Amino acid sequence: MYELTEEGKEYLEKGLPEINLLKALEREKDLKKLKGIVENFNIALQWAKKNGWIKIEGSKLILEKKPSSYDLQESLKNLEKAEKKYLDILLKRNLIMEIREDIEKEAKSFIGKEITNIHPSLLKTGLWRKVELKEYNVKAVGKKIYPGKIQPYQKFILQIKEKLIELGFKEMTGPSIETEFWNFDALFQPQNHPARDWTDTYSLKKPKYGELPDKKIVEAVKKSHEKSWNYKWDEEKARKLMPRAHDTAISPRYLSKGIEIPGKYFSLVRCYRPDVVDATHLIEFNQLGGFVIGENMNLKNLLGLLKMFAIEFGGAEEVKFFPDYYPFTEPSVQISVKDKKLGWVELAGAGIFRKELTEPLGIKVPVIAWGIGFDRLAMCNLGVNDIRELFSQNLSWLRNFRVL
Amino acid sequence: MVKELQGVIMPTIEFSLKDLERLLGKKIDLEELKNEGILFVKGEIDEERNGKLKVDIKDTNRPDLWSIEGVTRELKGHYRIEEGLPKFKIQKSGLTVIVDKKVENVRPKTVCAVVKKLKLDDEAIKQMIQLQEKVCQTFGRNRDMAAIGVYDYDKIKGPIKYTTFKPNELKFEPLGLKRKMNLKEILTKHPKGKEYGYLLRDKKEYPIFIDSAKNVLSMPPIINSNYTGKVDENTKNVFIEVSGHEINHISVALNVIVTALKERGGKLYSVDVKYGNKTVTTPDLTPKKARMNMENCRKILGMDISAKEMLKLLRQSRFDAKLKGKEIEVSYVPYRNDIMDERDVMEDIAISFGYNNIEPEEPKIYTKGEGTKKERLSNKIREICIGLGIQEVLNFTLSSKEDLLERMRIKDDIVEIENPVSSSWCVFRNSLIPNCLRFLSYNKHVEYPQKIFEIGDVIKIDEGKETKTRDVRNLAILITGIKIGYEEISSLLNSLMENLKVEYKIEEMRNEKFIEGRCASVFVDKKLIGEIGEIHPEILENFGLEMPVVSLELNLEGL
Repeated sequence: MYELTEEGKEYLEKGLPEINLLKALEREKDLKKLKGIVENFNIALQWAKKNGWIKIEGSKLILEKKPSSYDLQESLKNLEKAEKKYLDILLKRNLIMEIREDIEKEAKSFIGKEITNIHPSLLKTGLWRKVELKEYNVKAVGKKIYPGKIQPYQKFILQIKEKLIELGFKEMTGPSIETEFWNFDALFQPQNHPARDWTDTYSLKKPKYGELPDKKIVEAVKKSHEKSWNYKWDEEKARKLMPRAHDTAISPRYLSKGIEIPGKYFSLVRCYRPDVVDATHLIEFNQLGGFVIGENMNLKNLLGLLKMFAIEFGGAEEVKFFPDYYPFTEPSVQISVKDKKLGWVELAGAGIFRKELTEPLGIKVPVIAWGIGFDRLAMCNLGVNDIRELFSQNLSWLRNFRVL
Repeated sequence: MVKELQGVIMPTIEFSLKDLERLLGKKIDLEELKNEGILFVKGEIDEERNGKLKVDIKDTNRPDLWSIEGVTRELKGHYRIEEGLPKFKIQKSGLTVIVDKKVENVRPKTVCAVVKKLKLDDEAIKQMIQLQEKVCQTFGRNRDMAAIGVYDYDKIKGPIKYTTFKPNELKFEPLGLKRKMNLKEILTKHPKGKEYGYLLRDKKEYPIFIDSAKNVLSMPPIINSNYTGKVDENTKNVFIEVSGHEINHISVALNVIVTALKERGGKLYSVDVKYGNKTVTTPDLTPKKARMNMENCRKILGMDISAKEMLKLLRQSRFDAKLKGKEIEVSYVPYRNDIMDERDVMEDIAISFGYNNIEPEEPKIYTKGEGTKKERLSNKIREICIGLGIQEVLNFTLSSKEDLLERMRIKDDIVEIENPVSSSWCVFRNSLIPNCLRFLSYNKHVEYPQKIFEIGDVIKIDEGKETKTRDVRNLAILITGIKIGYEEISSLLNSLMENLKVEYKIEEMRNEKFIEGRCASVFVDKKLIGEIGEIHPEILENFGLEMPVVSLELNLEGL
């Protein structure tokens, strides 16, 4: 129950200031003069504005809308019938207060009882001292709550991206559906290479063909292939669309569009390859790769970069380099890290992009390129043995996964 | 980089340690071989059991390394048993192969050789067949670019004719069969004919090697004859032909085979291949030359390496190397096809030096790292969703037509794979909702309510784009449970937008996916960015779901 404060009593007698302002406004519009006429002018102005009754134009006060009745004034007159929302406003304006006796009465009703929840009246009156607070079974396990959580594999992806950005790498992205041109041709992979077979990569039924880039680049790539691989390069094959088969498809796109030199770049994207899905194979997976471009980049730097990745990402203590082969890099190298159980485990493949690749794209300086077997790294990080769990379809597993 | 793609075709060779020691003339320290020696031939020991080794040779452009004989030749350089350019003596066999003009439109080229005085034991024959297969498969692009035939020379009466016959014009006994078949039958009935017949598809006549006694040697690139084309431990002398489309390419294959047989003690003899008036004498093992600038080499390797050291390392890699001013001129045997540029020579210097003897040095380039706008926005949204108590899920972007279209009761133009392995993964998702509903269907017995969200790309057809498709970053939220209704999803939408400080408008709409009167379109700046609603019960039924589901899907780029 509530009763009027001194201020409330005053307004009940004289009317709320905002109402008084409206009345005065019938005769006087000048702001300064009104200030002299209406008591509690600032309060009046604030509430009249808030209610959308008036607006100020220069030194004049303009009536926007005249209310037919004012519920707040009615509430002040009859507190017992007032709606809660008006009572709350009156409380806030300090025009009413709770009746002390009522609070005490409520608080006293708890005395001598054993209670679970402490009622606010007990705190307001200090009578909490006279009630008994029931003991809980503190050992009881609370009700299970499932927090919102990040998907564990997604979290690992984001962590690696963040780490690379910290190391000064810029992120690259490209379309999931690529032309064979960017996926293979621009990477100096000959069109009759067995890796471009029907069984090794996907092709599209719909849409079937895309567009080739600038004629200058296409001609240069064609020339490079025909000269080095000794076959007739087919433009139509290069236009064929396919789901991106490896992350490296993105690199020539960036190299061809004029990038900052020196620079460090990475991409971590979904790639696609036909396979039968099992514990070690997915048809859709993430690959991490990138390159460092700079006038003085060399094999020594490439080995240094790979070693750093092995330490940063693989937690490696011992690494070993193996000579390797990619059609698009020379020299080429693979880095393996020592695993206590498995022996040498391949971590990354890398190399210096061939001139036959970089020159048609207009790049004159060395580009050291690398790619990391990302899903295997993720499996190690998450402690899963089945690659399918990375894209887990098991809600309980996701809900209960320990936060990394 | 894409090791898996290379892995499909990476040659694996199997041999016994004893055979390697016999060819090398040296006892092998297995640990050294594993840790250093095998790296010299870009190899990695995959398996080792009872003295048998399985080695992956990583270079798919070096067929000369795909046999134990070729590996031995390089290892001799590494162990300094033999250095510099390997020498081969070729005598004249007097045999002629006449190439008929008729082969021009079928399989136009061949190069040939004779190898005598072979002492082939079981192991050697196994190795020869293994090498022949690897070369045909990988280097020969599955016999298209190069197919190899090996024959018992003593059963052949020269000259040999390389010509064509009509499908029904000729019969012979194909290898492994005791019965004569005509050419058509071989292509349709013999296992090798079925496997490789497509290479002769649409041809009116088929290529044939036939000798002057009218004995068929083979029908390339399909099968040898049983009579001349059978090689066993009693065979002393062999005739070898490689057929294909391009002389340079098939010459490499021939050179690889004959030099491998030479390591087995064989003596090499040349054959005159007559193309009209032109005679090509093969095998031709005249060394090829290439040049490398030493300063460029130091720059690319990042190593201060002397001219003398370079020469030594190159000789160990079986090159002859000479100083020519600022350059080095190397000579190499033309079984190598991989030297296109000076870089290829530099790599051999580095391998010969030993990758693990090079001191790694991190690149000293200082650049500012940066993520993409799309990912930054995604992270912001992810944070809000997690704060709202929703579990993130990650699904495939591939899906089935049934899930994307039929079960969702919609028709749409979607991106479709031509050669899917399974119909469950044959189209790209055009919306995040179907795979999320599929997710919920796997979790029907898990405690409710279930709240999941996914942030990911959907692929839309877009004729205006270079790739005729566009990746669109979407957010989907799905809530399911016994008392779940439209209000749950609309309050989530509101909370999301308020936290992003984005003003949005909701408009009523009708859509096959949702219950009528329980769905709406979401607009930001008058642009449609998504929809919310309660999934239609028929769709729930289609996915086998037994609780109401409300969903939201927004295009993040519109925010």
